[in-house]
Amino acid sequence: MNRLFRIELIKIKSNASFWVLVSLHIGIILLVVLSGKVFLKSLSINGESISNMVDPASIPLYQFPDIWHNITYVAGYLKFILAIYMIISITSEITYDTLRQNIMNGMSRADFIISKLFLVLVLSLGSAVFLFLTGLIIGFLSTPDPQIHDIVKYAGFIPAYFLLLTAYLIFALLIGLLIRKTGLALGLLFLYTIIVEPIIVFRIETAWIKGLFPLKAINNLVHMPFGKYVLREVQDYVALKDIAIVIAYCILFVYCIYLLLKKRDLK
Amino acid sequence: MNNVVTTNGLTKHYGRIRAVNDLTFGIPEKSVFGILGPNGSGKTTTLGMLLDVVNPTSGTYSWFSNLSRKENRQKIGSILETPSFYPYLSAIDNLRIIAEIKAIGYENIGEVLKLTGLYERRLSAYRTYSLGMKQRLALASALLCDPLVMILDEPTNGLDPRGIAEIRELIRTIARQGKTIILASHLLDEVQKVCSHFAVLDKGRLMYSGLVNEVSHEELRLEISADDPAELFALLKTFPGQRKVEFSGETIIITLPGHVAIGDLSRFVFEHGIVITHLLALRKSLESQFLEILNEKA
Repeated sequence: MNRLFRIELIKIKSNASFWVLVSLHIGIILLVVLSGKVFLKSLSINGESISNMVDPASIPLYQFPDIWHNITYVAGYLKFILAIYMIISITSEITYDTLRQNIMNGMSRADFIISKLFLVLVLSLGSAVFLFLTGLIIGFLSTPDPQIHDIVKYAGFIPAYFLLLTAYLIFALLIGLLIRKTGLALGLLFLYTIIVEPIIVFRIETAWIKGLFPLKAINNLVHMPFGKYVLREVQDYVALKDIAIVIAYCILFVYCIYLLLKKRDLK
Repeated sequence: MNNVVTTNGLTKHYGRIRAVNDLTFGIPEKSVFGILGPNGSGKTTTLGMLLDVVNPTSGTYSWFSNLSRKENRQKIGSILETPSFYPYLSAIDNLRIIAEIKAIGYENIGEVLKLTGLYERRLSAYRTYSLGMKQRLALASALLCDPLVMILDEPTNGLDPRGIAEIRELIRTIARQGKTIILASHLLDEVQKVCSHFAVLDKGRLMYSGLVNEVSHEELRLEISADDPAELFALLKTFPGQRKVEFSGETIIITLPGHVAIGDLSRFVFEHGIVITHLLALRKSLESQFLEILNEKA
């Protein structure tokens, strides 16, 4: 196990695309998170309806406990940046024949999958910890009188974000292994994420069936929080049902990855 | 002698193409086993199956021990076709990954890099290497775990003459340490120079399997001349067991069964009052044997 973990570390340590994409992920999260105030200000200047109901300046975007829900929701949109790296990582193993060479050298197929799951874990855990620290710092800076029960109230969204990212990266791993070509795999992942599944889900009317689709289920982990600022009802908790569906998908994806790798001739 | 690997009816079909067809053979321990065959004859597919990267359509194979397949592969150093490494990693990092896979320490890395002449460039990224250096790194990686068996598929592909000579010398050195080497090549000369055993594949079928020496010993060809070639020619025609006597310019070529001692022939000629002025044993090359095998069975 330790060895499989070390193998992935050696691979990412001097990989330029890893560092570029991780920096982009962190940079864009910070940029988006810190732009909330500016966005609200522009809304109020443009005299949108939101300002008739509430004063944008009073919206506690960055205060405990709202901040956890808000930043995990926004960061959830940026999961694709890490998915790009995941796809590059798996397709280049195929292009450079290093997957085959690793098996020849004595890795089992299961070992290879475990080493890639370590990479998934490093990325999603790293991103979740980063988001947690960001939330903590911004929260303390913005909340006038932080109370412990406010700080922990919505903090459960951080583990939910971790699960969301893990599931999406495993999905990317499956797509990459299935398609093999970097560009094509990236294109298909985005087409599916942005167009195919949303349209299918849109056409379905029953809510619980919508929630059975993989990406919808992943996105359901963290519902859009901003409605509450215009006095709409929002789901401000992580539903157990959604957690169960996403974990079931993770297991299914890993099983598919295993089958794919077992059946395929590596040549 | 034990076999390090035996196959039983190993078969691989790609759609309608039979890449490997009902292959049954054994590779003896401590041999240098050459797998010969034209391009596309199924050499690499066969080795791929033995290394678990190609799933056989049918048939079985078993490696030397009771260990799991994964543990067996950890004790095999292998190169299949082109060298495959992470292009952005240095030689050292690439070898570290292999050491982790083979569950061994890092202490051999410096040594194999020195052995293959890459030590000076150990920190450069793999993609900056020339083809020869890539081949040598592949050989270094195959040597890393002090393997019991080495599988080399066209190890001298793309090397310059000096590189080829170095690799061959290295293979012989390794073989002398009692390791088994399986060498796939379409270069007959290469197999003849380094191998003890060989098998010939064509269109996925096993055409021949045996010792390299046997091939040269099956038949003995001698180049002979005397002061009076015509008299010698007539005499040799009467030598018991001769297969063919022919003139080749000034000299005579006689073909004999492999077991005939040259001394017997010499004595026979001398007893009939002819003195041999020139005698040369011609080794039958693997190449002519190889072509014969392919032609016979085609």
